[in-house]
Amino acid sequence: MSWNFQEIQETIRREAAQIADLKDLEAFRVKYLGRKGLVQDIYASLATLPHEQRPVVGKGANDLKNDVSSIVEERTKAIKARQARDPGEDIDVTTPGVTVPPGHRHILTQTVDDICGMFERLGFVVQEGPEIETEFNNFTALNIPVDHPSRDAFDTFYLELPDPDRPGRYQLLRSHTSPAQIRVMQKYQPPFGVIVPGRVYRPDAVDASHSFMFHQIEGLLVNEDVKFSDLKGLLTVFCRRFFGEKIKMRFRPHFFPFTEPSAEVDISCYICDGKGCSVCRRKGWLEIMGCGMVHPKVFVAAGYPAGKYTGLAFGLGVERIAMLKHGIQDIRLFFENDVRFLEQF
Amino acid sequence: MKISLNWLKDYVTVGVSAEKLAHKLTMAGFEVEKITTVDADTVFELEITPNRPDCLNMRGMAREVAAILNTRLKPVKMPGVKFPSRPCDIKILDKKGCPRYLGTFIRGAAVADAPEWIKRRLCSVGSRSINNVVDITNFCLMETGQPLHAFDYDKLCGGRIIVRRAQEGETITTIDGVERKLDPSILIIADEKRPVAIAGVIGGKDTEVTQETKNILLESAYFDPILIRQAGRRLGVSSESSYRFERGVDYDAVGAGADRAVRLVLDCAGGIVAGRCDIRAIGKRPKSAVIVLNIKKANNFLGISLAPSRYKKILRQLGFQAAGGKKDTLRLRPPAFRSDLKEEVDVVEEVARVIGYDNLPVSLPAVPAASIVSETRRGFRQAVRELLLAQGVNETITYAMVSEKSLVQARQGHLGGVRIQNPLASDQGVLRPSLLPSLLSVVAFNINRGQKNLKLFEAGKIYTASGEREALGVVLAGRQEDDWREGRKGAFDFYDIKGVVEQTLARTCGQEIRIAASPCSFLVPGQGVSVAVGGVVAGFLGKVDGGVLEAWDIKQKNVFFAQIDLEELRSFFGKERTYRPISEFPAIVRDVSLAVGKDVSFQQVCATAFRLGRGILHAVKFSGEYRGEKIPAGNRGIVFSLRYKSDERTLREEEVNEVHEKIVRALVSELGAIQR
Ligand SMILES: [Zn+2]
Repeated sequence: MSWNFQEIQETIRREAAQIADLKDLEAFRVKYLGRKGLVQDIYASLATLPHEQRPVVGKGANDLKNDVSSIVEERTKAIKARQARDPGEDIDVTTPGVTVPPGHRHILTQTVDDICGMFERLGFVVQEGPEIETEFNNFTALNIPVDHPSRDAFDTFYLELPDPDRPGRYQLLRSHTSPAQIRVMQKYQPPFGVIVPGRVYRPDAVDASHSFMFHQIEGLLVNEDVKFSDLKGLLTVFCRRFFGEKIKMRFRPHFFPFTEPSAEVDISCYICDGKGCSVCRRKGWLEIMGCGMVHPKVFVAAGYPAGKYTGLAFGLGVERIAMLKHGIQDIRLFFENDVRFLEQF
Repeated sequence: MKISLNWLKDYVTVGVSAEKLAHKLTMAGFEVEKITTVDADTVFELEITPNRPDCLNMRGMAREVAAILNTRLKPVKMPGVKFPSRPCDIKILDKKGCPRYLGTFIRGAAVADAPEWIKRRLCSVGSRSINNVVDITNFCLMETGQPLHAFDYDKLCGGRIIVRRAQEGETITTIDGVERKLDPSILIIADEKRPVAIAGVIGGKDTEVTQETKNILLESAYFDPILIRQAGRRLGVSSESSYRFERGVDYDAVGAGADRAVRLVLDCAGGIVAGRCDIRAIGKRPKSAVIVLNIKKANNFLGISLAPSRYKKILRQLGFQAAGGKKDTLRLRPPAFRSDLKEEVDVVEEVARVIGYDNLPVSLPAVPAASIVSETRRGFRQAVRELLLAQGVNETITYAMVSEKSLVQARQGHLGGVRIQNPLASDQGVLRPSLLPSLLSVVAFNINRGQKNLKLFEAGKIYTASGEREALGVVLAGRQEDDWREGRKGAFDFYDIKGVVEQTLARTCGQEIRIAASPCSFLVPGQGVSVAVGGVVAGFLGKVDGGVLEAWDIKQKNVFFAQIDLEELRSFFGKERTYRPISEFPAIVRDVSLAVGKDVSFQQVCATAFRLGRGILHAVKFSGEYRGEKIPAGNRGIVFSLRYKSDERTLREEEVNEVHEKIVRALVSELGAIQR
């Protein structure tokens, strides 16, 4: 009798791969290592073999025995481990599901995206501008006079970066997103509607409602015959969609150097329904944005022919809107990034 | 500003309730922030916008109320004063800072309590009564908007007034008892020897009017708004006077304000006018320019059809001189006290404001399809953000300013950043050139509050002398999220940060990503690498050095950080991808197990395999790494599979075997691998 050990090894490997449970495994063990198993058969055959073959076959049988033993041992462990995890059909469906929990988009990003998305659906295009700006874009072009208090170092961060266009002067951190208006107008001809989100900076001492860095969103629509009524209509549509159809609105005359007429937009306080509460400081109204018709001087500064275009512009503070909408009482929470805060939104 | 309804009614007929008036004022641009009742009076707290200094007084507000309610102003009866021709001794050394100074010398006044009616008026607007003379100056300021100051004449050394800049080292004790240091940026009123008032801001204690005062010098002036503003801020003082001077008082009304006060002093405190001196740098200010208003255009702009006569009426009530011009136009001269009115739109706003914006129509603009291309910067940032969120990384937003010290501690000092000239605090002096300090602060903040396992990113700006750049920072700290089926997972390691960054960049940029050892001082040696995307080195990642963590008092050792310059990679983003037909031909997979030396990288193994892959090697998949007794010392075992595939045909076994053997042989001969 002769034994083809290579073939046997192949078979063992194939069979081992098909073992699914402990029952299969036991059958496999018996087949090779049992009292009537193959290994015993081989040992039994040794006596019938010529002397010179006996060591080789004997070693082959030993190897087989070792291999099968280690396969059985390894598989037993694996199957038991799997069984320990897999209780069959009788599982507790209330234990938690498993996945990598997705991260949380910062609530300010969400607010910016929501607001920009609404204006995008109305036909506006998102544009962004740099945070490091020139005095010209941040003030002069926006009709803010040279002696205006907002230009003081008390109200604007100046950088140790020389202004390339004005020797002796320095660049600054934009104190509002409005300079992006100038950049858009210098680059494109009307008609257009753009919406500009971005970070802005003012040297305000930090407290629950002030931050030296915050976010604004600026809108600008320029065409040949934009009217004041368009401003009211557009912002009414936005406020209704964003704050709910039930809110009341009012446009209150205000002053901004770069718009004329200018207004502030109030919505009825949705916490007290206009009756007056601490959030609206007993007024019943919440101030949510500034707006107006683009001042003709701004068009001239941007290089448009005088008198050809009219436009509307508006700007809002993202933190304020997010605070109102989500009942956040301290602006510092946005920038501390406590994960227990981040993961609420 | 506070206004008393009873006081207001001295100058204008108010035929509506206080609530109605408050609403009307709010809707005309004077937001009433609070209404209170004081005795039998109603007091409004108004927000007056900075362009309307003319309304920082009762008469100015009365004029607005008359226009808004379409009622009449009441004439104010004020007997004149006969002034002697004798001058006072006044000298102006800074004509630009003080273009007009009117001093009136009143001799023999009896300083006493103010009459009840003046006290009542002042009390209603929250002004404390001092004595009759001081109260009169305050009363006139509230009534006319002209700030006034009364000096005790006998306390002025040499009886002189000199308007000049302060000298370095001069000091003054002001009426609030505070001693203040002065400097040449500050305009002062001085006598022969010393400062007696900070011009337009606050008076000096030594020369204030008291019960003993007999002779008075009354000041009514026009000071440069910018000088006053700067002085107030420098000294940290704001007063009713400085508030008005900063915004600009009416140059031409300096005299009227003085006359009103002198009349009241004579009436209440007696005395005689013994001298008067009105020094002007310019005579009368030039008349304001005529503005031509096109009615048709204005009506169209506002969406209304208001008659020219109505325009005229409203504008006249606001103090304009109005005359009909050419067809459909009005020729308008704004009042002198309204320096904010310069062009046609300014006039349109006045009319719109008086009518009330709420009474103007509403329309929806047609938003034109613009030819403006949306920016890839934002799209790229959003795509990167979404991928990180999907991998469980939370978004943070941190301040752009950091301290110089934190940059040094994070070993980023060499990057510089951009310094701020006027930082709010010394620990916010630099615009950050790196996201590392900001994100380490967030990690420390959270660990201190018990949140030790953190996956965070920020898509924010970094700043250098050449400008601002958009960058991505990712930080992992602590352990991975556990899977309860498999027991606790391990602490984050190098491969976690590498995986997050690779997945994010591979998906958004569609380029090959290569990692190269790149020692950085702030990363643990051997675990700091540079990241190149499509051949562009765009950042680094690795394990944060313990010394850096120490500076943030972070005790955990396993903190991993990556920073990628998104600006460098933007051009890879948003490329159209072309569909490649899915191959129908089966792939053949061969496993390889090797022991390789320390200096052999998997990247080298892959490079060798692909070099010899004859175009049929499709992918190399790493599946395991081990060290131990079976591996020669200093080596490691690696297991990976080579996947062979063709898009055109079914590969023959022999052909794959040939390539595969060649690859394995080369790994052995070139890289010194031992096959296992
Ligand atoms: Zn409320």
